[in-house]
Amino acid sequence: MSGDPVTGQVLPERGRYHGAALTVAGRLAANWRALVLRPVIVALAMLVLYLVVNSQTLDPIEARTLTMSAILTELREHIVLSGVSAVLTVAIAIPLGIALTRPHLRWLRPIGLGLGNLGQAIPSIGLIVLLALVIGIGFWTAVIALVAYSALSVLRNTIAGLEAVDRTVIESAHGMGMSRLGVLFRVELPLSVPVILAGVRTALVLTVASAVLGTFIDAGGLGGGLVVGLSLNRPLVSITYGVIVAALALLVDWLALIIEEVLRPHGI
Amino acid sequence: MTAPILHLIRSDLPETASNADHFGIVRQPSDLGGCTLSVWEYFQQNWISIVNDAIRHANLTIGVIAIAVVIGVGIGLMTYTQPALASLATSTTSAFLTIPSLALLGILIGPFGLGTVPVVVALVLYALLPITRNTIVGLRGVDPAVVGAAQGMGVGRGRLIYQVKFPLAWPVVLSGIRVSTQMIIGIATIGAYVKGPGLGNQIFGGLGRFGAANSLNQVLIGTVGVMLLALLFDLVYVVIGRVTTSRGIRGN
Repeated sequence: MSGDPVTGQVLPERGRYHGAALTVAGRLAANWRALVLRPVIVALAMLVLYLVVNSQTLDPIEARTLTMSAILTELREHIVLSGVSAVLTVAIAIPLGIALTRPHLRWLRPIGLGLGNLGQAIPSIGLIVLLALVIGIGFWTAVIALVAYSALSVLRNTIAGLEAVDRTVIESAHGMGMSRLGVLFRVELPLSVPVILAGVRTALVLTVASAVLGTFIDAGGLGGGLVVGLSLNRPLVSITYGVIVAALALLVDWLALIIEEVLRPHGI
Repeated sequence: MTAPILHLIRSDLPETASNADHFGIVRQPSDLGGCTLSVWEYFQQNWISIVNDAIRHANLTIGVIAIAVVIGVGIGLMTYTQPALASLATSTTSAFLTIPSLALLGILIGPFGLGTVPVVVALVLYALLPITRNTIVGLRGVDPAVVGAAQGMGVGRGRLIYQVKFPLAWPVVLSGIRVSTQMIIGIATIGAYVKGPGLGNQIFGGLGRFGAANSLNQVLIGTVGVMLLALLFDLVYVVIGRVTTSRGIRGN
């Protein structure tokens, strides 16, 4: 809290990261309203969507694409596609980030980050279509594109998180006789968990969003229904699938928020 | 043997081809011969439609950012003193950003139809978060002592914001606008799928002729074009930052 010295008006700073050493439950309780609101809004949107779609008389195309089984099939494909991509992203980017902060590999860091920045400037649709033209269409091409696209946010945050760890803390850990690996796993990584997780959350949302484009190269997913609605001029279909994708993205973001809150170490 | 036949086919073309050029329609004369051009040859033959798309992409970006700056800075100015409203503004605008672009466009097709309008609406919604958030953060970060000094000199509320607080917050606001611009240039590409303007038309054009001669060239040029455009805009922002930052804080 900082007060305006003249008017006495209080200008509170948002205290989310300032509250020292709250328990997990305490932090969750502090944010509970924001955390509970999200799924409630999503559930309400789904309910409204269901009622609206049910109240319409559907033509054959709409009737075929708006069945529960068609939607669930695409939803499953979407979750699998983004899930596989997200796991691979984390499995590649975090070790890479750790490697690039080790003393003997640190000179590679600007190159890695530079390539990553360049990668993120590529429009996602361009990357996916280019890859498909070069190595063929299908599920794994989409996975490669999604991993390449979202790995940067994890990589960058891993490096930033590890670099931000206080040097004196690392030196005192060394001084206590901890090995290099011990310092990495018991000091550096736990201290940089919040920053790394923020990167993972960004990557997750980005992956779920970009997975929509998978349908253009025959990788399945909820983009299918969207594209049917757009190309056959059935706004009801594209709106329905659009709302479902949006709800999925908001839910994944929400889930990642909760994981972030739970996994954050107690000390910070 | 094949050359005269090709020549025959092409002799029918000049009129339509020049019309196509005139209206900025993509034509691939090389498709007739079935041969693939190098990227540079492709660009030379189609530069009118490519440059046309690039200009429309830039126009779209500038228009969207202008609207988003008015709305975003406005929201920031109205909410930065009230924490509850400010957090409502940032959480709402960040929810927009979570929605996948193709989904948002699919939803906006309902009320707005195909074309530039739904693309502009969607892009403005996406551009709001960085601008709004940075406006709020920037205005809050102004040193209270400076505000106090201004008030002591008898500066009123309105002048306090426009002559003291906002100029001091401007570098932060501008970096938000810059982030928004980079994002918008990328997302605008998707807009081509709902008949929006821009370089996305090259990419979706190539996708539509998937695997045909020069489809790779077309997608490659569209993609690299978007990246070059983003780079160009970023350079412009460096200049804008130099010119518009108040002299008193330029050293920082």
